[in-house]
Amino acid sequence: MTTLLFGALWVNLAQCVLLTGAFFLLLLAGPPATDFMRQWEERVLSWARWLVVVALASGVTVLATQTGLFEGRPEAALEARAIWHAMLDTRPGFIWMVRHGLLIVLAAFLFLGGDVTARQNWIAARGEAFLLAVLALVFLGSSGHSAASSESPWPQANDMVHLLGAGIWVGGLAPLALLLYGASQHAATPDPYAVRTMQRFSRVALVTVLILVGSGIVSAWLLVGGVAGLVGTTHGHLLLTKLAVLVPALLLAAASRAVLPTLSSPTAARPSATARRMALFIAIEAGLVLVLLGLATAMTLTTPARHDNPVWPWSVRISLDTFREVPVLQRLVQRPIELALVGSGLAILAIVFLVRRRPILLFGTLFVMVAGGAARGLQPLIIGAYPTSFACPPLSYTAGSIAEGMAVYQEHCASCHGTLAADREVPRGSAVDLLAPTTARRSAGELFWLITHGRPDRGMPEFETLLGETQRWHVINFLRAFGTTTDQRRVGAVVELNDAWLIAPDLTVSVGPLTPTPLSDYRGKRMVLLVLYVLPGSRARMTELARQYGTLSILGVEVVAVPPRSAPEAIAELGQSPPVLFPVVTDGNEDIAAAYRLFVPGAAHAELLIDRQGYIRAIWGSDQTGMPEADAVQAQVERLDEERSPPPLPDDHVH
Amino acid sequence: MRIWQVAILVNLALAVGLGFGYGTWGRRLTTLDGAVKTSQAQVEQLRREREACFAGGRFGEQLWEGRGIVRAVYPKLLLITHEEILGLLPARTTGFRLADSANHGRAHAGDPIRFWLQGTGYDNNMLVRMEAW
Repeated sequence: MTTLLFGALWVNLAQCVLLTGAFFLLLLAGPPATDFMRQWEERVLSWARWLVVVALASGVTVLATQTGLFEGRPEAALEARAIWHAMLDTRPGFIWMVRHGLLIVLAAFLFLGGDVTARQNWIAARGEAFLLAVLALVFLGSSGHSAASSESPWPQANDMVHLLGAGIWVGGLAPLALLLYGASQHAATPDPYAVRTMQRFSRVALVTVLILVGSGIVSAWLLVGGVAGLVGTTHGHLLLTKLAVLVPALLLAAASRAVLPTLSSPTAARPSATARRMALFIAIEAGLVLVLLGLATAMTLTTPARHDNPVWPWSVRISLDTFREVPVLQRLVQRPIELALVGSGLAILAIVFLVRRRPILLFGTLFVMVAGGAARGLQPLIIGAYPTSFACPPLSYTAGSIAEGMAVYQEHCASCHGTLAADREVPRGSAVDLLAPTTARRSAGELFWLITHGRPDRGMPEFETLLGETQRWHVINFLRAFGTTTDQRRVGAVVELNDAWLIAPDLTVSVGPLTPTPLSDYRGKRMVLLVLYVLPGSRARMTELARQYGTLSILGVEVVAVPPRSAPEAIAELGQSPPVLFPVVTDGNEDIAAAYRLFVPGAAHAELLIDRQGYIRAIWGSDQTGMPEADAVQAQVERLDEERSPPPLPDDHVH
Repeated sequence: MRIWQVAILVNLALAVGLGFGYGTWGRRLTTLDGAVKTSQAQVEQLRREREACFAGGRFGEQLWEGRGIVRAVYPKLLLITHEEILGLLPARTTGFRLADSANHGRAHAGDPIRFWLQGTGYDNNMLVRMEAW
């Protein structure tokens, strides 16, 4: 079914592209002034009639197969009711109706024909056909990946521009090859109108290719994201293949452009032979771009790389994180040989440039220096990598996941990698310290690989058989939270403006049987004062908070109180005078406490101020900073409100 | 007819067809959508009025059902953190006046309850009945 859909989509896209290009070329050539041009136009129009019929037939096949896939049963592809439902009730169906409605009008125009001897009639007929073909082509951009993955109209507009560029360049090649081949057959010099058309197309094609490259880069940025997506996913591989096919097509185009002046030069020998050769180049180019269209169609049927889990193909990758530990200058001083090499290279370059200003010497020396420097200098940036290095964790960064991970860590990992106690033991034997910067530099996917497959060379066993996949990801969420506890940056009782880095793990605010609310629901709306309280020690502070709640609420702060254990009677325990009106969590408390106590160790009363973006910005622990006072908390809330440029919303997954 | 005239006519037909299509079906769809919502709200209101009538309410009064957690109990008022009360209030904490029939003496802070409000609207209602959730 998918193969049939692919074939039908490819044919449909190719027909629309060819129709657009054919009518664009006819308009570019202008009303035919010679018999040869008239014959060529008639041939192109005859092609166009077939193209529009094939486009409509392939379109019907696309709709039927898509219906079968939507419904999840192949027989639905032949059921009128199911097809009708897909047409009227889905966005791709609606766009299909618009596009094929336009193609039907175009078909009517082409088959009814008419007298186009008058110039304005000719322009109206060809212009109308071009407009209809363009609309039928560019609306494809409204049902692609860009339309599905973004609500913004700009990615769709970019896709539409890309399709229009493809229509003009790619679609114009076949009729152009026909024009040049025909023009070279009958006389020693090609028809001047054909040459003029070729020259005009060459200029337009140059601009169109630049637009195609630009819109292609934007599209790749939006759908592929990065190198990992490019080399590690099917979508990325298709894009790379597309680029590999594009290069020879562009080389052929450049070759045609290079010999173009000889077509119209009065001194050129055998211009007709040149035209035949160009026609051959352009025909091959047209064949290559049809393959490109096939690859583009296949890309629309694969998951975009940005939303796929890439499989890193190499055993190494480049990481700039090493610079975080050692400043650049210090690193340079540590490498006298490289410094000497670069110094002598610069000296040679200066001498060469002063003595003989030859660009080849200049660029040659520069190339040797850059290549040599890169070979030596990149070495410390290269670190080991695994197939899952860029995998995105399937689990969100939540308190529940961290707590699960902590339990698994204590059972399976702590004996070698050290416990969680404040005076934690040094890792045993050759085990790695998981709080060391080298571990923090590892991506989540790499940690997953190491936990899954172990490090036999260091005596670490594999945990693939012992732990489920979910448990392994829980451990990674825990390691990321645990890792922040050794960060040199600290979060204290005073908000550091414009320095948000400690992400608050998501948690579920469950109050009795009421519908639970995730903490992330407050993002972009309200700050949260997370209160980890312990009775009876926190009684006075809770009473104060109950009284202050109205003021905090007006300041945009929601108070979420979390007792250490899950208990339905938690609200009743706080009493009703003054009434406690903020949410008091009655379920999942142990997980919340386990995760958040990593940031504020101990068992005493603690409060964490979480900003509107979801970062922890201030922490008060009664056994470290003393019991927070109402005015102090309010002052920090007002300080956060002063922040001019709030940080971006944090990612829901660790990396 | 000349082809340029046909081309203009076709484009006009497409533009006018699109415009009329939206003007008739598109706008009518929006209007119908609004009418359906209004009718649904009216049906809901009639249902609540009928329930209020069965419970002894006066003409025009409705009966709303809510679920929530008691946060504080006062002689004539109950503070409840409740879920959305359809047709009356979004999920939030609200103070409700108590009818004598409400028997709120058994309610304590922290109790999850189902409750029924009777009245004519947001600013005129009273908690008439409650039970454990």
